[in-house]
Amino acid sequence: MDNQMSNPVVIMLINMTIVFAVLFLLSLFIRVIHFIDPTKPRTKKKTHPTAAPAKPKKAAPAKAAEPAAPVVAPGISGETVAAIAGALAAYGVGFSQIKAIRPAERRSWAGAARIRGLRNDR
Amino acid sequence: MEIFSAFAISLQSVWLDSGFSALTWGNVAMIIVGIFLLYMAIGKEYEPLLLTPIAFGCIMANFPCTGFLEEPGVMQVINYGIKFEIFPPLIFLGVGAMTDFGPLLANPNTLFLGAAAQFGVFISLAGAMLLGFTAQEASAIGIIGGADGPTAIYMASKMAPNLLGAIAVAAYSYMSLVPLIQPPIMKALTTQKEREVKMDQLRNVTHFEKMVFPVASAILISLLLPPVAALISMLMLGNLFRESGVTDRLSDTSQNALCNIVTIFLATGTGMTMNAEDFLTVQTLMIIGLGLLAFAGGTAAGVILGKIMCRLSGWKINPLIGSAGVSAVPMAARVSQVVGQKANPSNFLLMHAMGPNVAGVIGTAVAAGTMLAMLGAK
Repeated sequence: MDNQMSNPVVIMLINMTIVFAVLFLLSLFIRVIHFIDPTKPRTKKKTHPTAAPAKPKKAAPAKAAEPAAPVVAPGISGETVAAIAGALAAYGVGFSQIKAIRPAERRSWAGAARIRGLRNDR
Repeated sequence: MEIFSAFAISLQSVWLDSGFSALTWGNVAMIIVGIFLLYMAIGKEYEPLLLTPIAFGCIMANFPCTGFLEEPGVMQVINYGIKFEIFPPLIFLGVGAMTDFGPLLANPNTLFLGAAAQFGVFISLAGAMLLGFTAQEASAIGIIGGADGPTAIYMASKMAPNLLGAIAVAAYSYMSLVPLIQPPIMKALTTQKEREVKMDQLRNVTHFEKMVFPVASAILISLLLPPVAALISMLMLGNLFRESGVTDRLSDTSQNALCNIVTIFLATGTGMTMNAEDFLTVQTLMIIGLGLLAFAGGTAAGVILGKIMCRLSGWKINPLIGSAGVSAVPMAARVSQVVGQKANPSNFLLMHAMGPNVAGVIGTAVAAGTMLAMLGAK
């Protein structure tokens, strides 16, 4: 036994096996925690972020759905749509994944515009 | 005449009591090494928070006649903190409070990348044994490849206290050189197509999962590997402070004030082990060489397992995240992000790489635990 403990290859193999085994057990633990998690959303399959990209792949044969253009709010020009689609494409979002393009209803933007307007008045 | 004689005798006694009379060339060389490390820390900003106190400790360790380690005082307290493994677990408390295990919980498969990167530890261990180091010394040297300073110090103080200074310096030096060491290995082992692989967004991890994980993993690993129970338990306690949502003050103290205080003591104490007699040896050069081997081996093994997982998952895993398994949080993950983005500007691998990155911290602690259990402390 002592002889084997002085063999570097034996030490290496035993230790690597133990490290993999312990981390494998830990990965099982993580899966169990996720499985028993009482707080996870019940509608997980519909809202699951990782499940979402998988669906279009399964639905890929139904090509009629793919070219569906996003819903564009009135008043937004084609150039604006192209610019937004281009910017999103740079982050890996395809045109078919864009569902709608509409102005964000944020009070902060309106507030910013108001402040800018006041400053311009001066 | 008698006045001159008395004056000369006084001057002589002052000279003999001073450090200058006992200063050796080795001390001078080590003080120069300390100044060089200070330059690297402050001038080049290589891990300045750690390297600055290490470098200053190195300079202090080479002041002769100080009695730092013989007489009771703050220096001896710092030395005891290292000798009796008090500081590394406290650092782990802070590391735990700073760590988000979310990416790991979202994709537990990344644990295997953290395990694969430990190959560097063991290849370096084998190399050290072939070079004539004892099994205990070799295990302490190998852990440099884990790119985890506190674990390296923990192992060295248990297995090879005589090599502590060289091991700590090698570990922290290579950690700061991760952005230079890893990219060539990552590029050499992957194709352009593999580097361009985009990964799906990670799932949301619930508060429940983030709270249960530190408790469950502390129980599991501490029961399996009692020698590293102190490290793992403190890591997970710190993480529980962070995730529980009701211990914000403890979390804040762990990751800021306490961590900074202990870092000062740990790093200064590590530097103070770098006295000329122990450091200026051929062994130190060997340790630095073996440390590089460990880093390169760990990076390569992580990337190779990443390639295998890439194929098995149907090109859903970018192999570049495998290199982040060598801990060095979060620098190794940042390297994966930078190399991935160079291949494909729309690639965002940072969060995906954080999974193997934090898995590497656990993996290195587990590797240390297995070696402590198998080879025993000195």
